[in-house]
Order: sequence, then C-alpha cells, then structure tokens
Amino acid sequence: MRVTPMIAAALLVGSIVLRAQPTRGARDQNTRWMAPAAESAKVNPLTNRSDMAAGGKKLFQQRCAMCHAEDASGTTDAPDLTRSTVQRQSDGQLFWKITSGNTRTGMPTFSFLPPLQRWQLVLYIRSQSDNRTTTSAVDQLTRRVRYAPQSAPSRQTSD
Amino acid sequence: MGLTGWWTAELYLESVTTRGAGNGFTGWRLENRFRPLRDEHRVTPVLYVEYESINEASRIQKEIVGSGPLPFERIAELTEEHAHELEVKLILSSALGAWNVSENFIVERNLTESEGFEFGYSVGVAHHLGALARGTACRLCPETFVVGVEAYGGLGSTEGFARREQRHYVAPVVSWRVSDRSTLKASVGFGLTSSSDHALVRVGYAYELPVRRHR
Repeated sequence: MRVTPMIAAALLVGSIVLRAQPTRGARDQNTRWMAPAAESAKVNPLTNRSDMAAGGKKLFQQRCAMCHAEDASGTTDAPDLTRSTVQRQSDGQLFWKITSGNTRTGMPTFSFLPPLQRWQLVLYIRSQSDNRTTTSAVDQLTRRVRYAPQSAPSRQTSD
Repeated sequence: MGLTGWWTAELYLESVTTRGAGNGFTGWRLENRFRPLRDEHRVTPVLYVEYESINEASRIQKEIVGSGPLPFERIAELTEEHAHELEVKLILSSALGAWNVSENFIVERNLTESEGFEFGYSVGVAHHLGALARGTACRLCPETFVVGVEAYGGLGSTEGFARREQRHYVAPVVSWRVSDRSTLKASVGFGLTSSSDHALVRVGYAYELPVRRHR
C-alpha cells in the first residue's frame, strides 16, 4: 500500500514544522494559567521544614534546571522563577502548576512525583528567591562600603 | 522528543537476535503522543498514534493486541513478510496521592493485510518507594525506585473474539532512576491463559538528552 509511507512522511514533516513554531510568546503572555481557588489555597505541609529544601534543590536540578536553569533564573525555554510575578503566587498555586503542567507553553506535568516531593520543589523555589534577595542585599552593602567617598571618615579612623 | 507542549514523538529501530533461528533487522516505528487538555485533571487523556513498518520477525511486544501466539519460524523467512500497521491508543492516567494509575485501550490495524481491527488493553498502578527526596545524592535510596503492577493483553479482533486464543498477563514492574537522566525499567509478565507465553520479560533503558539554552 502506498498510503502507509505517506502517513509516516506526513507525521515526520508535521513534526518538523511544529518544532519550528515559537512558544516563547505564548509563555510570556500566559496570564490566564491560574489554579482553581481551592488548589491555590493549599498550604505547603513542609513550610516549617527548611531542611527539606535541600531535597527540593536536588529534585530541581534533576527535573527543572534543564529549562529553568540551575538557579531558577530562567533560560530561553522557560521563565525566571525568582522574579516577583512568580514569587507573589501562593504555594498552592506553584504546587498546582508543577503538578498540572501546561501543554500550551511546554511545561511538563510532574503529577507522577509524590506530592511531598512536589512541595519540596515549591520550598526550593521559595528559597531561591530568599537567597537572591539576601545575596543582592549583601552585594549592595559591600558595594557601599567599597566605594564609600574617601573624604568621609570611617568609624575606625575617627576612633 | 517533545515537539510541542502537547505532542511528543519517538522513533524506534528494531532488530532481533535468536539462539539458533537467526538474526535480522525487523523495522522501525514512530510513536506520537498528543495531550489535548492544557492542564492535569482527575483523569487526563492522552491520544497515542503509532505507525509501524516492521516484519513478522519482530519480537518486541510493547503491547499485546488481537489473539494467538507469535510465529516462530526462521528469522530469515519472517523478515520477508512486511507489515505496515497503525496503532491508536487512548491512554487515561490519574494521580491519586502518591499513586499513579493508568488505563490504555488499544486499537491496531494492519494496513497491509485485511485482519480487521485488533484490540488490546493495559492497566497499571505505580507507587514511589520514597515520599520525600533526600538532600544528598543517592542511587539506591527509596526515592529512586518506583514499583507497581500491570495487567495487559489482547482481546481479539473484529474477525473474532475467541476467548481461548486470547493472551493475558499480569506483571510486577520496577523502575530505577539510575542517574539524573537515565531510568531502567523491568517487568516479568506471567501468562494467565493457555495461549499466553509462560513469562514475558520486558527491560527498558531510557536516557534523556540534555538540551539546554541559556539566556
């Protein structure tokens, strides 16, 4: 039958065409991807277990870093998770997004992971935001001291 | 390979090696999975379409359809009998807490010969051994293992649903995440009917290619 190689060829050509389609625009404009209220209100059962973030970091490196970068700062394939638009979202919202995925943006579903591991990922994403804030605060402080005007006497010289 | 968020495709090349009956290239298959819904639901459907260009020597039984045993003539003779097949599967999956449940209903059509439509099924349940991930690297800790049970078999075809010729199996399955990117999966299916093989061993190794682009 001649129709069968045609089906295979059509599938292959279709794959190449679809591979070439940009998805970034769709991802950045993805404001309607929101969890149902009940899901969004869920509380992270590991909130007070900061020791669990290390496990979340390992999971993040294994499952998410390929697209979101190792420090969650994003790549051309996936957004920066440390930015405020992400960090303002509730734990339940992030958990739902990790669980559910989004076929429109290429975000895979991670519902196959046990729920506590998905909460560990949420914990790690939160910790990245905290780390970044702390780091930038420390950087600013260091910069201020290092580039302080020469005329301004420091406490040590005046003492 | 993820072509889009809702479409993944995989290409397989097949060959066979037997003890005494010969070896040979048995063909190729192109698998496509389409996820029609944007989000995960209680029951999430996936449409699976596979095109196979194989010959009768193929021994890979990724799924069981139809009825009757496999032909066991010499490989050289079997490789001359080509078959173009189209297989469609409705895959339904659910995450129930730490359990993952999936049900597949399979329809296959041999486009080369008029064998009617052949039917099959597969149901499975799987559970991670470790609920939490450790903070340290580990290869043999519970979190790297998933265990489960599968049942699969052929139901016959539109040409006939002879119950005596149906093959049904039940199989314990274990999956081990060997490294961050690779997984080893193995199962031993035990035949439940007289037409079924006594044991059907399936071993699979998957490696995820790292494709990373930074800003």
